[in-house]
Amino acid sequence: MSDHLVIVLTAGLVATACGLLGPFLVVRRIALMGDAVSHAVLPGIVAVFVLFGTRAPLPVILGAATLGVVCVLLVDALRGTGLVRQDAAIGLVFPMLFALGVLGVHRYAESAHIDLDATIYGEIAFAPFRVWEVGDLLLARSAVIMGAVVALNLMFVLLFWKELRSTSFDPDFARTAGFSPALVTRLLLVGVAVTAVTAFESVGAILVVTLLIVPAAAARLLVDRMAPLVMAAVAIGWASAIGGEAVATRLDASIAGSMGLVAGVLFLCALVAGPRGLVARAVARRRRPRPGPLLAAGAPGARPPRAGGGAD
Amino acid sequence: MGGLIGLIPLPYPDAVVALGAALLGITAGVVGCLAVLSQRSLVGDALAHSALPGVAVAFIATGAKDPAALLAGAACAGLVGAVLIVGIERGTRLPPDAAIGVVLSVFFSLGIVLLTHLAHDAGAEQAGLERYLFGQAAGLLERDVQVMAVLAAVALAVVAAGLRPITALLFDRGFAAVSGLPVRVLELLVTALLVVAIVIGLRTVGAILMVAMLIAPCAAARQLTDRMPVLLVLAGLTGAVVGVVGALAAARGQAPAGPVIVLVASAAVALAVLGAPGRGVLWTARRTVRARRRQRAEGVLVDLETAMHAGAPPTAAELAAVSGRPPAQVRGGLADLAGSGRARADADGRWRLTETGAAAAHAALESRTLWAAWLEHGAHLGLPDAREPDPRDVRGSLGDVAADRLMALAGGGRR
Repeated sequence: MSDHLVIVLTAGLVATACGLLGPFLVVRRIALMGDAVSHAVLPGIVAVFVLFGTRAPLPVILGAATLGVVCVLLVDALRGTGLVRQDAAIGLVFPMLFALGVLGVHRYAESAHIDLDATIYGEIAFAPFRVWEVGDLLLARSAVIMGAVVALNLMFVLLFWKELRSTSFDPDFARTAGFSPALVTRLLLVGVAVTAVTAFESVGAILVVTLLIVPAAAARLLVDRMAPLVMAAVAIGWASAIGGEAVATRLDASIAGSMGLVAGVLFLCALVAGPRGLVARAVARRRRPRPGPLLAAGAPGARPPRAGGGAD
Repeated sequence: MGGLIGLIPLPYPDAVVALGAALLGITAGVVGCLAVLSQRSLVGDALAHSALPGVAVAFIATGAKDPAALLAGAACAGLVGAVLIVGIERGTRLPPDAAIGVVLSVFFSLGIVLLTHLAHDAGAEQAGLERYLFGQAAGLLERDVQVMAVLAAVALAVVAAGLRPITALLFDRGFAAVSGLPVRVLELLVTALLVVAIVIGLRTVGAILMVAMLIAPCAAARQLTDRMPVLLVLAGLTGAVVGVVGALAAARGQAPAGPVIVLVASAAVALAVLGAPGRGVLWTARRTVRARRRQRAEGVLVDLETAMHAGAPPTAAELAAVSGRPPAQVRGGLADLAGSGRARADADGRWRLTETGAAAAHAALESRTLWAAWLEHGAHLGLPDAREPDPRDVRGSLGDVAADRLMALAGGGRR
């Protein structure tokens, strides 16, 4: 396999794993969970180094995953008190963990050059060089690992489809229907943490954060139903991977950054040209006859003022 | 400024850092409330990340790592990112956090592309640009603190001057719009204030930790008050105290200031969320425990009264068997009843109600009967107004006349 193919394949698998979970994060208003996890893993890495004196990949990933799970569960617990909103809970928990990590590095590990970039945040450009030899076959390690994560996520989403969907949109209905919204939410969050940490190691943090949010947000502008939403998110993720690799080769710039940039361009396209995009709305506005002054307030299709921040 | 620093009884460098942290805390605390209340807490995160392309562009434009130019680039990019966030939110049906996430990741990707593209053109000169954003509190200079003081004063003055319109915007955008407020301008203003606060924080705690400095003072103060002006003042105070305590602790422990300040802020939030009078987790838990105990005691009281009517005063075990409650529950309830003088045990362990206990049991039974009667016959009562009684005190909330009629409807008082 050529290097380009391995890179696109790895990124596409990451896009699939993220695209399966991302739409649920977006409709639940916790899109930034991936970013939170990416910062919250630092104390886990430091703890592994301090306790076991190692920077080998496997223990480091385990430590990071533990902290990722701790982070998402802490956020959920803080939100569960009902005293702090979801977004504020995220913004309280991950800087705290990150600060703990920075202090840990300062105190115990400054000489060891522990650094997120060096220990856990992989670089997708190296994906073709990190291989496992199985017999005569050379397998790209990142692709194999991400393939396993994709399989896990696919299984999770298919098994819990009904639960995930109903608890995302209407937790009260879900509860009366016999699902446990708290349990499903925690499972989803743990899935996100594990996916994110595994993918960090393969492709770096920013690409994972991007692929969790941007394709799902773009898909949200295009379709309404949950199943098409997930499929569209995965497709947009793949398109970003393929386009990003081409752009990176052309510009001789970071692959992960280029993929994120292409995802952003695709989001922009959805924003402008989507069925409810800026163009469609401008056309609709032009076609609609201008209401007389008396009708102006209640004219059909007039956009009602959106409620501000207070509404829960 | 120099005189003020001289007044603080600390070594000069510590005094500068403490003053800077206090300024940061006040500004971040007050301005952060605006972000938290509009459910855009994480806008600080997005602005921190979106500063990267600004730094890169500023570097390309000036060709040198001049802190002022880089900071200006970061602020401009942050402002553009913030305007885009507001635009995406208004133009689509995406929730605020998705808009924030999109801008965060795309801007950061753009920054990385710019930096890596730069790396091939400019050699090693650009190395460490991104460190600038995530670097820790470097030694603050008195000049930095002066700049921070000016920015903080401007931000606080703007918030104070625009308090009423900003409050209207945050809590009810529709109302703000129909009452003729320029909501778009106000939104831009709030966003610009956030950018100012973050720029102040960049040097003191670093961009990532700034996220917490915007949220934590507000989250802590919010547990103590429901009123906007009080909230802003409390959040500012909390921010200042947290900043000074954190900076001094860091100086004493030879640790970087940013993480210590953030940990102190987190501790303040934890304290408020746990112990805030009347709404903290511990208070709620205590209220629940007390309500359960009261419920248990009343249940056992009624059971005991029923059992005494049926025969001899029961022992705790007999009462448990008759009432079907777990023995531990019965024993606990009896102990509470004995403690409040509503029941007492004979020498042979047989329980009977005291006079107050009997009265309480009758009251409890009557209130249960009344509630059941209300549910069954309430509609036929023909009350002059649509009153809805308190289930725990039907007689008190409906009045004696209606309560007596309800008792009659229930069968002349079954007991």
